[in-house]
Amino acid sequence: MRNTYLQLIHMVTGVFIAILLGIHMVIMHLDAILGFFGVQITHVTSWDSMMGRARQGLWVGIYIPLLALALYHGLNGLRNVLIEVIPSATGKRVMTWILIIVGIVFLVLGIYAPVVLLSA
Amino acid sequence: MSELAVTQIKFRVQRYDPERDSAPHMEEYTVPSSRGMTVLDGLIYIKENLDSTLAFRTSCRMGICGSCAMIVNDYPHLACHTQIEEFNSGTLTVRPLHNMPIIKDLVPALDDVFEKHKSIKPYIIRSDSEEMEQPTREYGQAPAQIHSWEQFAYCIKCGICVAACPTSATDPLFLGPQALAQCYRYCADSRDDGRDDRLPLADADHGAWNCHFAAACSEACPKGLDPGMGIQLLKRMMSAKALGSKARKPAQVVPEPAEIKEKVAWPEFTVDQK
Repeated sequence: MRNTYLQLIHMVTGVFIAILLGIHMVIMHLDAILGFFGVQITHVTSWDSMMGRARQGLWVGIYIPLLALALYHGLNGLRNVLIEVIPSATGKRVMTWILIIVGIVFLVLGIYAPVVLLSA
Repeated sequence: MSELAVTQIKFRVQRYDPERDSAPHMEEYTVPSSRGMTVLDGLIYIKENLDSTLAFRTSCRMGICGSCAMIVNDYPHLACHTQIEEFNSGTLTVRPLHNMPIIKDLVPALDDVFEKHKSIKPYIIRSDSEEMEQPTREYGQAPAQIHSWEQFAYCIKCGICVAACPTSATDPLFLGPQALAQCYRYCADSRDDGRDDRLPLADADHGAWNCHFAAACSEACPKGLDPGMGIQLLKRMMSAKALGSKARKPAQVVPEPAEIKEKVAWPEFTVDQK
């Protein structure tokens, strides 16, 4: 039931992405709406503001899981598409491993900056 | 009694003879059409009066056998179940089903559809093989249990769902809506005990999870079945199994009746046959 497990994780990650990405979108792009509710945030996209968030455990705790979930969700979705056009079993194995390596590389790159800033 | 109005309909039919042609081409025929005439009637008219070399499959002429499935005006139909008048057009374009090789003209090779159908073991599997071979009584099944699989039992294996499926178009190894819906049909049957045999086949690459739920199969099915829903229910069944849901116990043989009433005698034959 390997594909079933992969797809179940795909669906679960989708739910969590909706929550975490929702938080991200509200903070980054809906400052006017937050202002309506009395939450004043300004210059969220400025360098200082981003670096400030990257030094806070709460934000790192949101963004690292969001990155990991989005990478799994996106790359597994891409794998589903590619499986259709790659008929050979060897080709599928190679493609799967390439996607795993790409995912790990992007995850390490994404985690590196906040981990360095947190530990600084 | 007034005669039915006859209109001239242009049939553009795809022709292809692998022994002579390098590629399919279109040929045109003019067919006199009257109210109630089906696309199949038009093709039979062509074969009997205009071109006897035209090849197409047909058998029951009443939407039961599934032989005459073909693409009419870019959409899959049963030719016997589709009236020319429905298209409200002076030209009909008729082609063989998509997503399968052509044997000749409008005759597609359905071997792959049938092989995939057979691969999912489309029959009741039981552990009590003795009862299956030498049945004592029927297996008990409630109306709701029958309802869970009943619609999928009306599949006539015409191949229209496979011809309509976008995944089958891009992935020839995809099991296809016909086989997957039948996989659900047998797994959902309370008399069946073969989920462990079938679900790994649906779980494999090119199986149920490759269905994007375009639902083109459900829209095209000439029998009004919903193979797209069947595949989604199959996915739910596989997910439940992966999450540890235990397979239900298959239906057992109904108990022997406590009392057997005497058969009511046939009434005397009362009609005078003189």
